[in-house]
Amino acid sequence: RCLSGLSKNACQSEQHLGQYYTVPPSHFHTVFPHGLPPRYQQQVKSFNEGCVMVRQPALELISHLKRADYSKPTLRYLLYGVKGSGKTMSLCHAVHYCSKQGWLVLHIPDAHLWVKNCKELLPSSYHASRFDQPIQASNWLRNFRTTNEHFLSKIKLRQRYVWTKRESTEEGRPLGELVDMGVSRVKSSSDVVGAVLKELRLQAGGTEGGFRLAVAVDGVNGLWGRTTLKKEDKSPVAPEELTLVHNLRKMINNDWCGGAVIATLSQTGSLYAPSSAYLPQELLGEEGFDSMDPFIPVPVSLYSEKEFESCYLYYLDRHWLQHPHSQTEEGKKELIFLSNRNPSVLERLCAFL
Amino acid sequence: MAAHTLKKSIWSLGRIHCHIYRVNVRNPLNRATYATALSTNHSSQNKGFPDRGNRGPFNRRSRREAGDPRTDRMPVDQDWTTVYPTATPFRQGSVPLPVRMGFPVKKGVPPEKKGNLELIKIPNFLHLTPLAIKKHCEALKPFCTEWPSALDTGAKCDEHFPVKVESKDYVSAGTSLRNPSARIVHLRVSLSACVNYDYAMYLLTVLYHESWKMEAWESEKTVADMEEYSWEDSPSQKNIMSTLVRMQVAGEGEGEAVREELLGRPEVQEYRDSVTRLKNEGESESSMHQYRDAVKKLLNL
Repeated sequence: RCLSGLSKNACQSEQHLGQYYTVPPSHFHTVFPHGLPPRYQQQVKSFNEGCVMVRQPALELISHLKRADYSKPTLRYLLYGVKGSGKTMSLCHAVHYCSKQGWLVLHIPDAHLWVKNCKELLPSSYHASRFDQPIQASNWLRNFRTTNEHFLSKIKLRQRYVWTKRESTEEGRPLGELVDMGVSRVKSSSDVVGAVLKELRLQAGGTEGGFRLAVAVDGVNGLWGRTTLKKEDKSPVAPEELTLVHNLRKMINNDWCGGAVIATLSQTGSLYAPSSAYLPQELLGEEGFDSMDPFIPVPVSLYSEKEFESCYLYYLDRHWLQHPHSQTEEGKKELIFLSNRNPSVLERLCAFL
Repeated sequence: MAAHTLKKSIWSLGRIHCHIYRVNVRNPLNRATYATALSTNHSSQNKGFPDRGNRGPFNRRSRREAGDPRTDRMPVDQDWTTVYPTATPFRQGSVPLPVRMGFPVKKGVPPEKKGNLELIKIPNFLHLTPLAIKKHCEALKPFCTEWPSALDTGAKCDEHFPVKVESKDYVSAGTSLRNPSARIVHLRVSLSACVNYDYAMYLLTVLYHESWKMEAWESEKTVADMEEYSWEDSPSQKNIMSTLVRMQVAGEGEGEAVREELLGRPEVQEYRDSVTRLKNEGESESSMHQYRDAVKKLLNL
């Protein structure tokens, strides 16, 4: 059942496996302006509360995050599993933990959104052969600002950035100013994103005013592979030619310290990947695997018996299962059979009942 | 046409009857009857079309009323081979299964079998149930002869008949009789059955010596051409080396000595094995688990 007292998820441990904890509503707008899966957001609206199940992969991640040594190069964690097994939710759980512990959270909701369906591609002013994506970059900066309000005034820039002949941001100005500029001047927003990432990389784990940086990327396999974008002469754009992707790849390298990179693989939004692929090497490809190596793969499996029970009882408790047959033992066995304990399939099935 | 008019008059009465009471007339003799829609208010059924006799735009009046589908009258233990004796297109009235096929209608389910063109277009094997095939075999048996009892093992067949000729015939419905693949015939001879030992030895020696010769273009072999993944000098090795070097904050010496020492460690060996296994054998849950344990040990988690 929902343990509302467990909003301090530092106390979550093995005993709470399978139980739900409530995320206070105020956190939804700050911590998750753009990270949650769409169906989960609808569920939150229907139930008027957001309950997340405590599951093994998320607990494992959190225990690693607690015990890791932040003076060493960053550790990279990769959540993988079949479609609908709960990777994005585990990622959000870990992000919530980091946010509660006071880390700076860099959450990219879906890296695939940056490599497809982009209406405007501007040639980059900073680097001749690269392309900017102003809309995506400014959207992301806006959400970043919402998540990390309190950090924006504390972090000071270490370098002077010149945007145009007349505009520049001096050294020592707060990061908030840079972000605001990026949101308002849409044309240079991709370069602003690059600058923000660079500053954060340099300053995370620093001794004076140090903070921990959590980079959470959903659908990280979109960064290597192909894009569906085309240049004006109809030749395809490679991902490294996009400024956003180029800068994000630098973040995922482990040449900085003082934080962690948590990533999930996602076949759902991916391009040119078969729908049965879910293992890391299939989705990341050679290049992606070599860049992520060495990483810690965290498998996310379908619901266990106990977790399924818990989910079923939660839906019953919320009166979500209206059909009388679903409340019987027979109905429960049918649900197990139909959904094969896959969390998203179960959620969709119960939505009909 | 006398019988026709007689039937017409009888059934016109029948039609008036069922038109008033809206009852489906079941023919107890299971015969297809020619019922016409000659009821008293046939003019209102015309929907404004002028009376053109029985030629009308949709020929509604002389159209035969469809009877019940055959599925309603099928007993469970019927003989299916009589329903579908040969390959025929799908008939929804003859197949007692609630089959659905096609792209789902908006927010719904695939359309049902009634009037479903998709089901008719695809080939079906309803005429090839096990019982039907058994019947075919029974019918073909009189035309078959016994297999010679002396040839009961494969070895004996090969000994007496070393040359095997395989040809294929194709049957299809199409515009032309010919099928170019039918021109291919395979002739198989086992070398051990032949007496050409010397020639075979000569060939083997030549191939052996040829394979040792290095051509100039072979030195251009790139990583992508390699048959197997080798961990030495791969990006994976470089990554792990640089990570480990950075992790040793108090470095013991520089350069080669450190690298050699790191490479010799058992955790690094384990890591190397797991990555090689992943790349060469492909991925699976077990190889991923092995990689996971190796990385955890290496990074001291």
